[in-house]
Amino acid sequence: MKPVIDPKLCKGCNICVYICPKKCYSKGTEILEAGYFTAVASSSEKCYNHNRAGKLVCELCILSCPDQAISWHEETEEEKKK
Amino acid sequence: MDIFEFYRQDRWPHVFCPGCGNGTVMNCFYRAFNELNMSLDKTAFVGGIGCSSRIPLYINSDALHTTHGRAIAFATGLRLAKPGLKIVVFTGDGDLGAIGGNHFINGCRRNVDMTVICINNNIYGMTGGQASITTPHDFLSTTTPRGNKEYPLDLAEIAVAAGANYVARWTTRHVHELTKSIKTALQKKGFAFVEVVSQCPTNFGRRNKMADPTQLLDWFKESSVRRDKARLAAVDHVDLNLAGQITVGEFVDRNRECYEELIGVEKHE
Amino acid sequence: MRIAAGEYFLQGNEACVEGAIASGVRFFAGYPITPSTEVAEGLAHRLQGKDGVFLQMEDEIACISAVIGASWGGAKSMTATSGPGFSLMQEAIGYAAMSETPIVVVNVMRGGPSTGQPTRASQGDVMQAKYGSHGDYQVIAFAPASVQEMFDLTVESFNYSEKYRVPTFLLSDAEIGHMRGLLRVSETLKIIDRKEKGIRRPDEAYDVPDELVHPFPVFGKGNKTMITGMTHTDTSRIEPEDVKVHQELVKRLSEKILRNRKDINKWELICPGSKTMVISYGSAALGAKEIAAANDRVGLLRLKSIWPLPEEPILEVARQCEQILVCEMNLGMLYWPIKRVALEAGCKKVELLSKIGGEPPTPSEVRHKLREMGAI
Repeated sequence: MKPVIDPKLCKGCNICVYICPKKCYSKGTEILEAGYFTAVASSSEKCYNHNRAGKLVCELCILSCPDQAISWHEETEEEKKK
Repeated sequence: MDIFEFYRQDRWPHVFCPGCGNGTVMNCFYRAFNELNMSLDKTAFVGGIGCSSRIPLYINSDALHTTHGRAIAFATGLRLAKPGLKIVVFTGDGDLGAIGGNHFINGCRRNVDMTVICINNNIYGMTGGQASITTPHDFLSTTTPRGNKEYPLDLAEIAVAAGANYVARWTTRHVHELTKSIKTALQKKGFAFVEVVSQCPTNFGRRNKMADPTQLLDWFKESSVRRDKARLAAVDHVDLNLAGQITVGEFVDRNRECYEELIGVEKHE
Repeated sequence: MRIAAGEYFLQGNEACVEGAIASGVRFFAGYPITPSTEVAEGLAHRLQGKDGVFLQMEDEIACISAVIGASWGGAKSMTATSGPGFSLMQEAIGYAAMSETPIVVVNVMRGGPSTGQPTRASQGDVMQAKYGSHGDYQVIAFAPASVQEMFDLTVESFNYSEKYRVPTFLLSDAEIGHMRGLLRVSETLKIIDRKEKGIRRPDEAYDVPDELVHPFPVFGKGNKTMITGMTHTDTSRIEPEDVKVHQELVKRLSEKILRNRKDINKWELICPGSKTMVISYGSAALGAKEIAAANDRVGLLRLKSIWPLPEEPILEVARQCEQILVCEMNLGMLYWPIKRVALEAGCKKVELLSKIGGEPPTPSEVRHKLREMGAI
């Protein structure tokens, strides 16, 4: 599973960038529809849950995100190979 | 249950500031509630006045948004009138410990079954950043422009002394431990108290050189010490709480009879 | 459990306890304060196990808060206090008015201000009952003048608070609360329960239209009720910034009471049509009652409900008489609104006999004043 940030909910606090032990997130560099820099899951293939289904190992980002902006998504075939 | 069975969809997204710890506590609570398979129809949420006290209004269940400081008193009446209803109280440091201090102490003593989650952000956030009873000494706020001359209160230690059946304190940096403690608290018979030291970047952090929520989280991490390994025993140091240390952990887990059992109201479910 | 029909010799506060039990009270939270403590003690005995819950809370604010919480749990709830405690409860009373929570508050009034005269009577809280909390709201308040009325008006207090979803007050005083007298309980009593959301019963409460008094969504029944003291819409959306929503809500809170004055007003009339009428309530009326009963030149309008102010019987009386004497155990509180109504009705003279110090005006004091007024 890979983490995905919903830019409509993200308020750009960057707690995910700080908390992720594998540095999967980074501060946004583009101003999207919200009008400010939302965070991005730039290296989601580094996540502990990469290619993992069922019981997930680390959920620090999901539990920490104050705006419930992160959710788990199934990786595409391409992404599974990374 | 799905996130929007748990939260009121018509009131989403919530209005908490970017980086506010409230959202983190909500996540841990939602996780704990779900893992226990609890039912929203058998639960009622009570909040006082303040940012964290607004959490009950976002949950898709019966919610009582009361007057400042009195959430525990309202919850006591609600619980004893309907003993089958699980009560969860969301409150804040000022709401619980300052104006609500009397109800907090007697709530612990009386031990009516309820789970009280106090989100302690060391400030009165909603009204713009006035000093609270847990604001550390020398810190700045709008009512302590030259530094807080008072010393903070240790809410969790008070709950221990007053007789709560379960007392734990964590910070928003300890999401897994917090989730686990909330689970224990929800299942505990009697008064279960969980204090969460949480970040208020907008009104606390910003005035104290920690405007970024991650700076506050770092500060929590640096200052947290397991209660049994604390450098100073709580009774030894005058500067209670956040004097360079936040004691965390499960403080007490006991089984005093809850009030419903003592007065012979319907058996605890 | 409920007191059996019959005749009893009881203290006023004890009669209040019996009235509450007969109404079906299931939650009482109290704090000791003279001269109301007997109400708490009586209910401590009676509310046990399945009968209900009695709690002595840490302060009066906790009491009134717990009572409101219990009402949302579906229980008929009550507290009893006196002046100092009543002052503490005001914020929560405003909350009960705003959230439309049915509660009964018994205030056995004592000498004030402040600690005052704990064991002596007064009527010093009558304005506070209506105006004690901040903002605009209407309440219902009854003023018993006998042990019998301590029972009857307690039952009425519950009935009206349930019917109109409004905090209702029983404004007694140390004299009525502590006096002993005859109580007659009849076989059947009229008991009204709140109009509950999702339930249809042949109860008087259901006669009030839903737009005025909304059905009560009890907690724990899957209603996903959201209750707050903030300005809210009829569908429980929180809209503190909206001018119209606030206007509609606060006006409806007033209208539901003011439009139903005919149903709520209660009074006793002795010798109507007399040249001089005394208007009074509670123990202040007892002295005048003796005089009116024995003298056809003086009549008495004894108000049994004082909020909303029963303007209709006052108007009626003011139109027919030449002068009015208001008797109160304070320095003039209901005197002013009564005077306004009476003068508007064309009555030429409205005077005040104000008696403070802890005793009701005696018949000779009332007689003296009436002589001064040229009534007798």
